[in-house]
Amino acid sequence: MPKAFRFPFRSRTSIAAEVDEELEFHLATVAARLRDEGWPAADADAEARRRFGNVEHTRDYCRAEDLRREREKHRMTIVDEIKQDLRYAFRGLRTTPGFTLIALATLAIGIGANTAIFSVVRAVLLEPLPFATADRIVRVWDTNSSAGIEEGTFSEPDLIDVRAASKLAEVIGGFFFADGQTGIDLTGDGSPERLSAALVTPGFFETLRPRTAAGRVLAADEYEVGHNRSVVLGYGLWQRRFGGEPTIVGKTITLNGDPFTVVGVMRPEFTYPAAQTLDVWLPLSYFGPDAIGRARPLHFISAIARLEPGVTPEQFRTEIAGITARLSRSYPDNPGWDNATVRTIRESIVGDVERPLLVLVAAVAMVLLITCVNIASLLLARASTRQRELAVRAALGAGRSRIVRQLLTESLTLALIGGVLGAALGYLAVRALVARGGAELPGAGALHVDGVVLAFTFLVSVFAGVFFGAMPAARAAGPALERSLRAGTRGSVGGTGRRMRSALVVVEVALAVVLAAGASLATKSFARLLAVNPGFQTSSALVVRMNIPKTYATTERRVDYYEGVLQAIRQVPGVIVVGAVHDLPTRGNGEMRTAEQLALPAARPNDSAPVQLHHASPDFFKAMGIPVRSGREFAPSDRLDAPAVFLVNETAAKRFWPGENPVGKVLHLGSTAVQIVGVVGDIRQRGLTEAVEPAVYVSAMQNTRSGMSIVVRTTGDPMRIAGTVRNAIWSVDRNQPIAEVTTLEQMLGGAVARPRLLAWLLGIFGFIGLLLGALGIYGLLAFAVAQRRQEIGVRTALGAPRSAVLKLVMGHGMALTIGGVIVGTLAASVLTRQMQAVLFGIAPGDVSTFVEVIGVLIGTALLASWMPARRALAIDPVTALRAD
Amino acid sequence: MARETLGLVQGTVDVLILKTLSWKTLHGYGIAELIRERSDGDLAVEDAALYQALHRLERKGFVESEWGISHTNRRARFYSITSEGRKQLRTELVELRRYVSALFRVLEPA
Repeated sequence: MPKAFRFPFRSRTSIAAEVDEELEFHLATVAARLRDEGWPAADADAEARRRFGNVEHTRDYCRAEDLRREREKHRMTIVDEIKQDLRYAFRGLRTTPGFTLIALATLAIGIGANTAIFSVVRAVLLEPLPFATADRIVRVWDTNSSAGIEEGTFSEPDLIDVRAASKLAEVIGGFFFADGQTGIDLTGDGSPERLSAALVTPGFFETLRPRTAAGRVLAADEYEVGHNRSVVLGYGLWQRRFGGEPTIVGKTITLNGDPFTVVGVMRPEFTYPAAQTLDVWLPLSYFGPDAIGRARPLHFISAIARLEPGVTPEQFRTEIAGITARLSRSYPDNPGWDNATVRTIRESIVGDVERPLLVLVAAVAMVLLITCVNIASLLLARASTRQRELAVRAALGAGRSRIVRQLLTESLTLALIGGVLGAALGYLAVRALVARGGAELPGAGALHVDGVVLAFTFLVSVFAGVFFGAMPAARAAGPALERSLRAGTRGSVGGTGRRMRSALVVVEVALAVVLAAGASLATKSFARLLAVNPGFQTSSALVVRMNIPKTYATTERRVDYYEGVLQAIRQVPGVIVVGAVHDLPTRGNGEMRTAEQLALPAARPNDSAPVQLHHASPDFFKAMGIPVRSGREFAPSDRLDAPAVFLVNETAAKRFWPGENPVGKVLHLGSTAVQIVGVVGDIRQRGLTEAVEPAVYVSAMQNTRSGMSIVVRTTGDPMRIAGTVRNAIWSVDRNQPIAEVTTLEQMLGGAVARPRLLAWLLGIFGFIGLLLGALGIYGLLAFAVAQRRQEIGVRTALGAPRSAVLKLVMGHGMALTIGGVIVGTLAASVLTRQMQAVLFGIAPGDVSTFVEVIGVLIGTALLASWMPARRALAIDPVTALRAD
Repeated sequence: MARETLGLVQGTVDVLILKTLSWKTLHGYGIAELIRERSDGDLAVEDAALYQALHRLERKGFVESEWGISHTNRRARFYSITSEGRKQLRTELVELRRYVSALFRVLEPA
């Protein structure tokens, strides 16, 4: 039987017909023989069937067997072809190891970067919030338009009134929480510990409706004074401190010296309102008005609400704005708080990381595109040298679709190997990301590489493979195939191939411009952020934060203890000077007061602009390295029994005593006369990017607070003396819990961690873009020079000057580069506008940045074209003409 | 018919068909006839079993088929043995021989 190039497959009906015909032949032959043997013609057929056995069953059986055989044959053919394609693919990749290595390396980078960024996006933006029907939960802010405060907090009386008046919310709750600031001391078994705490109001848990790991959340009556010694534990604390025992529910623990009953434990994913972990949730009412003021002007509670079904955030905002406006009119001591801001809770949580993440997603997608374009270009170059091979295969009977499939198999194989490498690289990148910037990303705890991420990587790989494989495959399917056999000695790249590759290089350069512009903007923004003078010396200063236990009940005892602690630290070897303040920069903003409350000579009547009130010790400004501009700083003599004194910062001095020196001025706070004894330098209390507000400092020896952030100025590495400083504190009171031990440098570093991460990542992406762009130009020109060796050889032989050859090659490179730069600059000027929100101190369309980026790109392109041009110059006309 | 034909032990149909086809290419009817002839009428393969076995053997790749013209001038499906089929025949013969001799060692001890 002659073998066809490929069997035509038989259909189900033709199989059935063949079986029927075969059996029919048998029965007819038997019947004919029977008639010969003398059977009556009428009975012969029946007898033949009888002798045969079960005809129907046999027919079905044979049909089924044939059908199975047909299917197996079909499957085998496909499997064989795929195997063959794979074999060709691997052989092809092995024979060009240089191409394969470059392609795999770029793919691994492109896919790895995408895997890593997708992991982050998924953990941060796509992970569902651990609240029931989260789309109905919103965050509500009190808004004071006249003071420019859009997202303000509520005072307790305001929140209670808003809660009572609102009809569009099912429930409204509130909390008081500031990361690293709100806390409570745990004593009892084990070492004393400062726990992070959220102080919550009725409605907090009812709004969020989170699930618990054990026990329950706070019940309605547990917010009431008299029943409010109940606490809900965070999962982390439960595991760390109580061994994850469910029996902790119902037990009593000591917080702040008081017994609290543990009513429940939250699940690990619920840390609201903290981004990462939270130790305890307890009723705000536990802290009475003496600890946290409850007057109407004292705004400190953050509010959340669960809307009635069908109510939009905007409807709710209108309602709350109406209520706050009415409250503001009814209570003149609370002016200006007459509006409201509402956002969904998701927006409030991920809002400020969403933009930088989307910028990263865009950048990383561009890296992948550049990668693909680069490989497509490489493949095109390679395809043109292989055209004869393909043409031969086509001539030997391989169909066009078969050749296209083979080329696609090859690029998919390449992409999938790249994908495997990329997944590994992505895994490493995710680990590096968590280590470097984990604290900056809400939900980073859920950051990991898993099935979904790998599926994403797989899809990206397939996309890449099809993307960069399609062009060479499309070309192979084109009519050029046979021509290349007929064409001369060398399967030279046709005009279409070169045009396509040139277009790809333009795209590559354009993408590189966009990436480099983004990277440059982020890096410059970060550099400007670092260049901001915080107003104090960050190096060589240790920070210890703690709260004076309430066992020091009277002001005298607190002051003694405060002085005792500072004195003990002063004795530690290596300590130059030590001071303390209630709130350090980026760890709190002091107490918010109005100019009126502090009896400051207000520029305008009813000036409700905020003034920060800080409590500082003697030597605090010396320890911080904050200059004293005029007068003096606090001295040990500024005690309870001495006249009350204030210091003001420069901004306050300029604001309230324009053109005057406030030193010596006396303020009358009720019956107390307070003298201003000094002006100190401004510091960036709220963070490097925030404006400096007027601040007034009061001596901690005259007006104590329990919060104590100690600054220890030393020589060299401050963490070296951390242990001895802690022991010095414990030598005064061994039950003193310590909230945080860090350095000023690290504290400030935390504030720039996110811009640093962004600048760092965009910088990497920009560099990759630039590198791949240069590689693309170089590859194309080097290839073109190799292809045109003969032509160049002839020109040189005919006496063309070297400059003409140089111009030929470099001109080609420059033409492509300039095309790419124009397209890229246009795209970048539009796209970088999206970065507005993540930039500091630099505009998205910053001209000098663009000029630099274009300069760097053209420089790189010149370099990339110069190398092939040099090779062209070195061509010896004799060998070039003799070759082939 | 003078004598009763012998029923066939399960599994021997395949080996008989392969053996028959190793002599020449035949259609189903021809195979049945040839087996009967060679065994002097002692062995008869049931037609149903014969055709089922042929299609099974074809799927397994031991025989292949092709349409041809019979001596009665009708289109018939002719079977021939493949090289795999010959291999299979050899192994099955060895197996069968072992089986039969073991059987007789028990039934008629020397």
